[in-house]
Amino acid sequence: MIALRSPTFRRSAIVILVAAVLLLFVPLIASNFVVHVLVASFYYVILAASWNLLAGYTGQFSLAHHAFAAVGAYTSGLLGYHWGVSVWIGIPAGALLAGAMGYGLGRLVLRMRTIYLAIATWAFAETVHVYLTADYTFTRGELGLSVKSLYGTLNPTPYYFTFLGLTVIVLLGLRALIDSPLGYFMRAIKDDELRAKSLGIDTTMVKVRVFSISSAIAGLAGAVYGHYIVTLTPQMLDFSEMAKIVVMVVIGGFGTFIGPVVGAAPVNVALTYLASYGEWNLAVFAAVVIVLMRFSMEGIAGLLAPLWRRLWTRNA
Amino acid sequence: MFSTELVIQTAISGVMIGVLYALMALGITFIYSIMRMVNWAMGEFYMIGSYLQYMLVAWALGPDLWWLAVLISTAGVFVLGLVVQWGLIKPIFKKPPELRDDYATVVTLALLLFLRSVATGLAGPNQFTPGSNLPMVMIGPMPMAGARVAAFLFALAALGIFWAVLRYTWHGLALRAASQSRVGVQTAGIDVLSVDRIAFGIGVALAGLAGALLAPVFLVYPTNGLITTVKGFEIVVIGGLGSIPGALIAGVLLGLMESFGAAFVDSAYQNIYGFILVIAILVLRPTGLFGERGREA
Repeated sequence: MIALRSPTFRRSAIVILVAAVLLLFVPLIASNFVVHVLVASFYYVILAASWNLLAGYTGQFSLAHHAFAAVGAYTSGLLGYHWGVSVWIGIPAGALLAGAMGYGLGRLVLRMRTIYLAIATWAFAETVHVYLTADYTFTRGELGLSVKSLYGTLNPTPYYFTFLGLTVIVLLGLRALIDSPLGYFMRAIKDDELRAKSLGIDTTMVKVRVFSISSAIAGLAGAVYGHYIVTLTPQMLDFSEMAKIVVMVVIGGFGTFIGPVVGAAPVNVALTYLASYGEWNLAVFAAVVIVLMRFSMEGIAGLLAPLWRRLWTRNA
Repeated sequence: MFSTELVIQTAISGVMIGVLYALMALGITFIYSIMRMVNWAMGEFYMIGSYLQYMLVAWALGPDLWWLAVLISTAGVFVLGLVVQWGLIKPIFKKPPELRDDYATVVTLALLLFLRSVATGLAGPNQFTPGSNLPMVMIGPMPMAGARVAAFLFALAALGIFWAVLRYTWHGLALRAASQSRVGVQTAGIDVLSVDRIAFGIGVALAGLAGALLAPVFLVYPTNGLITTVKGFEIVVIGGLGSIPGALIAGVLLGLMESFGAAFVDSAYQNIYGFILVIAILVLRPTGLFGERGREA
């Protein structure tokens, strides 16, 4: 594992672990509602970071990331609801099925022009949405599928630690992946796919792998989150969920490692506390994204970059 | 259950709705073939077209002048398309080439979210219908809703005009040339950015037209463009990205598949049949029925 010895990995790992240790103390001082908002924020950090792996680093836009999260959640939920399967089998099954669907879809469309993935995933997400709503005898449709909670309690604190741990593991895994040879191939494909291909990279295989990994992570996050919110509805597949992920990544910094982390949490907190303004706050965030894309495309990560460099040059 | 009349009626309604879906697909594929980008906010232009139609019919013109309302709504969406292209899409060419795809995708997705949220904020989640006092039309022994027949005929006329403009006018020639080579068109002294503006305007106007025509058939609400847009994208994959005859034929094919699926299998899954067709096409003929193998530049 060359990736684990690279300085970028070590530096990111140190910062992630320090932040995680500090975050361990939050439930001591915060109210249950704040802890709940933070659990949801961790969920979005995982979704945003894994989507960024695909879109920001590889240049492949999936518009079904929310759908893969829902596939994970519904797989685990339905296994438990109809056959009483344990949560601890349901969650890995959900992640595996999401990854397998990503693999199948990727094999079909990723050898073609970039835009096909976005179109096919959009159609896929809407199809899953329609199916989950229509087949209500099996999925309970809009009535909502009630699933077992992970720890048999609705107190958010244990889920907070679970999601904190999961976020740390996912982020470290993504960092290792980005610093690995596969990560270099990913960036080569994003910059110039034809050139990458001419240098002997099997670009289709790299894209299929990254797409499957990113979908499986979404499925995993969705499955665990499903056992926290305990009622699943097709609302999870509303396109505004996908749009939220895009907004988070772009505000944080598209194609940067830290971007989704610093983008997802504040956006989710803001959306929660401004919920009484309903649709208007989504409109404001959309406008912010348009302005950001128009003028800098760097987001919060662009502001943090000089601080990050200074932090490590002083130490070195 | 399998009477001839039912089969014929299903076929007719499939073709009729298929042509309207084809309008949507044509808009997507037309913008793509000239600007090499996908406009993800197509459904929102459809939605705006349907709201304009509703407002004109309900508040200003009355249901008898629905055809005038359709023309005004389409023109309104065309103008909006010009503004959006000028403000948001044109700056794409100030970005480095490797970031253009990212920019186009993210900006049109954000535009989608923006327009949809603003529509919900202004009009609420209510559903409206502009109504229609067109009488039932008898096609042979089968009755058909007047609004659907009118929408079908209107769409056919629009497609005819679209084809004639592309085929016989100077602007049509410029548009076709730009779809073959953006560089070549510039060497011939044509301002490719103004060609882009017209292409984007026409593309979204086709979506607006579909929205205005379908307003009395499907309802008017903030996310009403979603299902039609998904179908538009499915048609584009089936027919082949960038192919105009492909969009038409695939549109009718999808309409037929849907109406037969709804009539003979299960109408609850009506919106899923198209995706099955998409997967089948991707497995058997990945470039679509009429698509050429990807030429990148």
